[in-house]
Amino acid sequence: MADDKPTVHAGFPSPAQDYMNSFIDLNKELVRHPAATFYARVVGDSMVDAGVEEGDVLVVDKSLEPQEGDMAICFIDGEFALKFISYKEPSAKSVKAKKQGVSYDILGHRKMWLLPANEKYPPIEVTESNDFTIWGVVTYIIKKACTRL
Amino acid sequence: MSCERAFQPELEGCPVVVLSNNDGCVVARSNESKALGVPMGTPYFKVKYLVDKGKLVVRSSNYTLYGDLSARVMSLLAEVAPKLEVYSIDEAFMNMDGVRKEDLTGLCRDLIRKIRRWTGIPVSIGIAESKTLAKVANHFAKKYKGYKGVCMIDTPEKMNKALSLTPIRDVWGIGWRGAPKLEAAGVKNALDFVSRPSEWVRERMGIMGVRTWSELQGIRMVEDEKDEKRKSICTSRSFANMITKFDDLAQRVSDFAGKCAEKLRKDGTAAGTVGVFIHTNRFREDLAQYYPNACVKLDVPANSTPEIVGAALRAMKMVFRQGFEYKRAGVIVTDIVDADSIQQTLFGFDSGARDRDDRISRVMDMVNTSGKNVLHLGTQRSGHYADGIRREFCSGLYTTSWDELIEVK
Repeated sequence: MADDKPTVHAGFPSPAQDYMNSFIDLNKELVRHPAATFYARVVGDSMVDAGVEEGDVLVVDKSLEPQEGDMAICFIDGEFALKFISYKEPSAKSVKAKKQGVSYDILGHRKMWLLPANEKYPPIEVTESNDFTIWGVVTYIIKKACTRL
Repeated sequence: MSCERAFQPELEGCPVVVLSNNDGCVVARSNESKALGVPMGTPYFKVKYLVDKGKLVVRSSNYTLYGDLSARVMSLLAEVAPKLEVYSIDEAFMNMDGVRKEDLTGLCRDLIRKIRRWTGIPVSIGIAESKTLAKVANHFAKKYKGYKGVCMIDTPEKMNKALSLTPIRDVWGIGWRGAPKLEAAGVKNALDFVSRPSEWVRERMGIMGVRTWSELQGIRMVEDEKDEKRKSICTSRSFANMITKFDDLAQRVSDFAGKCAEKLRKDGTAAGTVGVFIHTNRFREDLAQYYPNACVKLDVPANSTPEIVGAALRAMKMVFRQGFEYKRAGVIVTDIVDADSIQQTLFGFDSGARDRDDRISRVMDMVNTSGKNVLHLGTQRSGHYADGIRREFCSGLYTTSWDELIEVK
């Protein structure tokens, strides 16, 4: 059964009831919209250059409207993929890319690319033929710093 | 269904069914699986050939996940509705008194979009003057895409149209129990029903029938259930293997009774009656069949594990017979009252024993809070007996367990 991993509780019963609320609740910092917040675990290395590594925990807020440059969990052709969202044509030279604006396809739809943060993987252009949704925007990356734990 | 899809978008557009506890039979169907002709309640083995051919996807019920997503949806409803009554895991009544009628449809459409976006769950909303009529409206909102998720019955014309299209057995409060009698009398749909005089309805269906009759005409009769405690609690399971020995069956019945007692204590209630049923396997027509049940009335309503388990075992002893292979058993506790308001009988009540039992139960609850059955009575089985439940096709505990989060590449 669900070993309900707890939200943070004050660890000890204190006789000083007045100070009841004086502990730091990580949820308050990391979770803006509780009903829309989910968590995911990173596998693979497609975002290593953005500091996201295998085993990291992602805080995902589905209520946020995805915007240019957001890191998001996308669902593309049967798989969850972690990528940056971009509406600008990616280019080998980053300086050039900045100058470019939003591009449109022949039907006038705003084009979209999914950009990895690892040279090993190419950007993906999302087209009509893809089964595609943006599942949620990543708001925080939780990383283990001490490997002894 | 939609809970499964929220985390497995690849199931969108596929025929999917969810199986009951223990993977027994189909309890929820996607529209695609309805189109495939899979009836509600079909035992799993009857659709297995479709699964083998890759035409149907099955999922075990994952109530932990459904409960979490349900709570999220309900919290969003509560932000909008002045009064919210959560009716079940997937249904709620919103009292929208005070909101202008012309604003309702737009407000509900926005709400549906928000819930879909925030939680991944599609919902539909029916709007009407009474709960029964709102349920009729919701049926249309759910069934026909044109409503964009919201159907409002707000004029006599719409009401008559909707009622004429609603078979009487689909009406809330009539159901499959009440329908045959009405159908035999020529009442096929809800409009036929409200066209009969109230006396006609009262004669055949009593005051509850008249209540439904009024509700269908937009007159509010069903009050909000004000924090009403559950009327009965049932814990039952099918067994993976059939059981023949009294002791083995007694152990399972003790487990179920213990679970019921735990739920009672959690609700702050106590039960006056403990019932037990034991069933042979009705799909094995080659075997002897036996479906007895029995109940024991307690002198004083109780919620302690020793008392509930003891009563359940007494009930089981009354009906257990050797020579049958039992496939399913369950414990139902009824006559539920507030634990605080227990009226003790004057004579013959051993309050010392009651205190002792209550103390034992409290300790059990404290130790067993992790969901694991660490402390148990001698007649119960040790460990977490959910382990014995078949859940072969279960999706992950994506929202409640760090070990089962969705994985992204």
